[in-house]
Amino acid sequence: MIAALNGAFDDISKAVRLHRVWVALAHEDIGDQHRRTTLGPLWMLVNYFAFVGTFVFVFVTKDASDPSYIAYVAIGMLVWFYLTETITMSVSLFQREASFIQGTTLPLFVYVMRLTMQCIIRAGYSLAGCVLILLLGSYGINSNWLMSLLGLLLIILATPALVTVFAFLGAFFPDSEFIVGNMMRVGMFFTPVFWVYSGQQGIQKYAYHWNPFTYFLESVREPITAGIFPMHALAVTGYFCLGLWALALLLLGLYRKRIVFLI
Amino acid sequence: MTSIKLNNVSLVYRLFEKLTLSAPGRRRSALGGNIARSGTKQVVQALDDVSFELKAGDRLGLVGPNGAGKTTLLKVLYGIYQPSAGTVSIAGKVDALFNISIGFRPEATGRRNIVLRGLISGWTLAEIEEKVEEIIDFSELGDFIDLPFKAYSQGMAARLAFAAATALEPEILLMDEWIGAGDASFQEKAKRRMDELAEKAGIIVLASHDDALIQRVCTKRMVLRNGRVESLT
Ligand SMILES: Nc1ncnc2c1ncn2[C@@H]1O[C@H](COP(=O)(O)OP(=O)(O)OP(=O)(O)O)[C@@H](O)[C@H]1O
Ligand SMILES: [Mg+2]
Repeated sequence: MIAALNGAFDDISKAVRLHRVWVALAHEDIGDQHRRTTLGPLWMLVNYFAFVGTFVFVFVTKDASDPSYIAYVAIGMLVWFYLTETITMSVSLFQREASFIQGTTLPLFVYVMRLTMQCIIRAGYSLAGCVLILLLGSYGINSNWLMSLLGLLLIILATPALVTVFAFLGAFFPDSEFIVGNMMRVGMFFTPVFWVYSGQQGIQKYAYHWNPFTYFLESVREPITAGIFPMHALAVTGYFCLGLWALALLLLGLYRKRIVFLI
Repeated sequence: MTSIKLNNVSLVYRLFEKLTLSAPGRRRSALGGNIARSGTKQVVQALDDVSFELKAGDRLGLVGPNGAGKTTLLKVLYGIYQPSAGTVSIAGKVDALFNISIGFRPEATGRRNIVLRGLISGWTLAEIEEKVEEIIDFSELGDFIDLPFKAYSQGMAARLAFAAATALEPEILLMDEWIGAGDASFQEKAKRRMDELAEKAGIIVLASHDDALIQRVCTKRMVLRNGRVESLT
């Protein structure tokens, strides 16, 4: 156990020393994804607007310009997109990096940080879109945004652990790539991304309370849409984050040398 | 002091058996490698009780049939694979050239790839800055250096890979079948650089099927067969 943790910290500290590698590679990745396109990474912004727009116009029946619902969806989509993208890309992380893993001695955590970095950069474009929507929707910048920032920070903090856990899952159980992919697609409907929970019974109740993603979303969203400090959501997210990190360190410590044989 | 020491190193690859309804008959392979079973898994014993020692200035040529374990041994020396049994102790800065294209991004230019490759090998930005021009000169790529890597011929890629891997004068250089693609003049140049490296008390381990090459470059020769050391002279 102690040896495992030592191994994990060793891997992480080596990766931190190599921070230039993953920053450079993450930028290359983003560049590659949009090479030869005219809009380049701005496509991510377009994509985000398209989704938020669709949900706002399809699901607002009473008052299509209800600004609080627009903000609700805008923030919900921002966080949900970030989490889905991170998780689905994590599951196949080690397979995608196979040639590097089998040809260099970079610590595994370098790949984790590379993906983390890439997801954060991509989310930056959606974030810009989200802020734009909020400002247009007459949510001026106020101190509530700071509370929201706390939630975002927590999510970013959890990201490397999330990536690690799902990357190991994908390496050990290749089938999980498809299971996770489908679950995340369906998961959008079981998470209060675009529907609002106001004490309904049945499935929605469980989907709201027993879904960890709810808390990730609410810790960013509640401060702005409801103007409250999301104590409960932040606490749950915090515990989740700790749990993820514990699991990530354990996996990294115990199995990092095995990955090269599995992919 | 640069040195490599292996004690009774073994390495086993485990493969997950795919479910199949037909019962395949086993054929004995004329090639190297041993397939065995343990429980539900198939295992390949790629290295079996390998021990040897190299000291500064040694240039070891690894030979043996396909599947003998040469690549596997190099990857153990580099630290990519942890041996299943035995110990490896290595003193010195190691660089390796396995697959020409490893660590090179097809979309990035040659120049950018040098920088990336340097970062991956743990060089500082200052070291990279200092070496870039030298690497470009050595590779003789000229204006092609600012074209994307995917536009290079195999030999051009090999030149860039070799120039980059040897630029920072690694104390230990591991190479796997790298040179075939380079033309005669580049092979000559590469040989001179390897001589220099070895003279600076470095160690070179080179796996190849080209006996002439091994004779030209190496001072020692190790024959692997079925993962075992057959002879070391
Ligand atoms: N990733 C792997 N998974 C399972 N078995 C492997 C793997 N890589 C190599 N092997 C097996 O290990 C043995 C040694 O392979 P290795 O690649 O080291 O041979 P080699 O001497 O480099 O051969 P070649 O001359 O063809 O390059 C072979 O039997 C091969 O089938
Ligand atoms: Mg080989």
